[in-house]
Amino acid sequence: MRVLIVEDELRMAENIARSLREGASYAVDIATDGEEGLYMAQSEPYDAVLLDLMLPRLDGLKLLKQLRHSKQHTPVLVLTAREEKESVVALLNAGADDYLTKPFDLGELLARTKALIRRGKGQASPVLTIGNLEINTSNRAVRRAGKNIPLTAMEYRVLEYLAHRPGAIVSKAELLEHLYDYNWEKFSNVIEVYISGLRRKLNDDSERQLIHTLRGQGYMLQ
Amino acid sequence: MKGPTKSIKGHLILTVVLSQLVLAAGLVFTGVFYLQRRLQAALDADLQARAMSVAALVRYAEDGSHNLVFEKSLVPPPLDLSHPDFYEIRKDTTVLARSPNWPADLTFDNTKPRAYRSLMSSGLPYRALHLNEVPILDREEAPPSSSDTLIVVYAEPTLALRKQVLAAGVYIALASLILLGATVLLALWGIRRGLLPLQLLAAEAAQISSQNWELRAPPNAMRVEELKPLTDAMGTMLDRLRQSFLQQREFLGNAAHELKTPVAILKSTLQSLLQKPRTAAEYEAGLGQALEDMERLEKLLHWMLRLARAEQWAQGALQRDLEEIEISNTCEEAIAGLRGLARSRNINLELKAESSLVCKADPEDLELVWVNLLENAIRYSPAGGTVKVSISRHNGRGTVVVEDHGPGIPDKDLPHIFERFRRADPSRTRESGGFGLGLAIAKALVEAYGGTITPESTLGQGTRMMVMLPSERK
Repeated sequence: MRVLIVEDELRMAENIARSLREGASYAVDIATDGEEGLYMAQSEPYDAVLLDLMLPRLDGLKLLKQLRHSKQHTPVLVLTAREEKESVVALLNAGADDYLTKPFDLGELLARTKALIRRGKGQASPVLTIGNLEINTSNRAVRRAGKNIPLTAMEYRVLEYLAHRPGAIVSKAELLEHLYDYNWEKFSNVIEVYISGLRRKLNDDSERQLIHTLRGQGYMLQ
Repeated sequence: MKGPTKSIKGHLILTVVLSQLVLAAGLVFTGVFYLQRRLQAALDADLQARAMSVAALVRYAEDGSHNLVFEKSLVPPPLDLSHPDFYEIRKDTTVLARSPNWPADLTFDNTKPRAYRSLMSSGLPYRALHLNEVPILDREEAPPSSSDTLIVVYAEPTLALRKQVLAAGVYIALASLILLGATVLLALWGIRRGLLPLQLLAAEAAQISSQNWELRAPPNAMRVEELKPLTDAMGTMLDRLRQSFLQQREFLGNAAHELKTPVAILKSTLQSLLQKPRTAAEYEAGLGQALEDMERLEKLLHWMLRLARAEQWAQGALQRDLEEIEISNTCEEAIAGLRGLARSRNINLELKAESSLVCKADPEDLELVWVNLLENAIRYSPAGGTVKVSISRHNGRGTVVVEDHGPGIPDKDLPHIFERFRRADPSRTRESGGFGLGLAIAKALVEAYGGTITPESTLGQGTRMMVMLPSERK
């Protein structure tokens, strides 16, 4: 999963980014002004946007309206210092999916971001189940047939993304866009390395493959 | 101030009662005096009649001896049997007749033909009349060429008169007291009615709160002439209070809002540090960050307190002994402090002092004013630009102008630049480290010294901040 943080307080943005990377294994990008934020949100396929309201160049509410106007459906969590009902209503009516008032709890921010991404992908439960595979997104525990499977952070990222879209074909390019942040060098063969690692770890005795490769199209978890 | 409360009602009632008492006393006195005079005049006339009537009982003896006899049997009976009149009739020194109760040592001034006298006899008040030369009425038996005259003294008790006067006095006094009581009741009712608008006004004033600032003066209070200055004063006072209250509340709201950001940053720094176990070096870096966040919070608090103090002082709440200082020196200090910032932005700072200006002020305060104005000017100047400070005199006031060639301030924003937490661009704060308090502090300080600060701006050409201070030429 890849998240965009639009926040002009760099320290705040970095703290949130660190929390998302460490607490959810997300790829995180940071934009420090409204125009940059809008450009990034429109040009990159984010799974969620965390948006501050007081932004240089373009304020958060305008950014949100333009984003929704350009038919972007990315879930948006607004970070605001205002608690008045009117401003909250205005936010939600402008297309925000949720909001948090500053100063907020990073744990709550993490949980709300996860819930937003889940909903955005059409999932309700924090525990994703595909056959006898079980992925708990809240503590990132992966089990197959009741057996714990330890994964690296990148392997988990790949698996979680595929698991959010069970039965769908996910291209290598899509995986690259959703698993790496902006500053990362993207090599498609890295994905193959993670996929083969995942296959090896997830394989149980039943010999039934969960991750299918569709040549020239991508991968599918089923 | 403690002490017994004073009552307007009590005061008015007391005034009414006192004036009524004076009136009643005057009435009793004049009434009694007048009655006494009238009764005495009547008594005197009666005395004369009675004296003449006893004198008429004297006649010459029928034997032709020309002796005078007194017909005692014809004396009319006394009106008051227990206190009978007394009389004496003499011819020269010979006593012709004397009533049995004639007191022993009674003397009269014999020079006047007629004299009245009040006297006491056997413990009773009497009024006596002494008549000289009363002619003898008996002409039949009178010897020819007789010119005999009598001396008649007649006295009557005045007890009845005294009683009458006393009764009249008591009657007048009682009537006055009853009237007094009625007046007090009437006055009480009238005063209560008259003061009713005041009570209504008080009840209305009691409704004033931070939610309700409107004083709806009751219409019958508005019509009272004496209350009009009060209601007017209350109205203007409430307006001022409300304004100041709203300002304070807005400041508090803004301050709370401004404080949220640094607090949120600090909190997120600490929480992300605690998210998982870390190495000592990571903890150290995290704590260093937290300390930086803390310092920013501290700085904001410092500026907020500085502003509060400047404003408090501007309202005259603080008094300080001030020395005369040279304004250009404070400008030089401020410019020296900002050289670094100006150089980093490639901006040239210029100071032009036309004349020496002296002002009673704390040099630190003035320096802070210039620093805030200059920082703002530097911040909005394009790289390579010049910020000019010029000191001169205008109409007996010292003028300091800080001028930049930045983008200028739109007319609609000009009245708001001194508002607290105000920023021309709501977000460009962070990198410049300002909190939107600098201009508010500058204004409060300048006004504290009895000066004014006037912004002038032309879009695309720049902004001039003109500070006028009361000052003297050295």
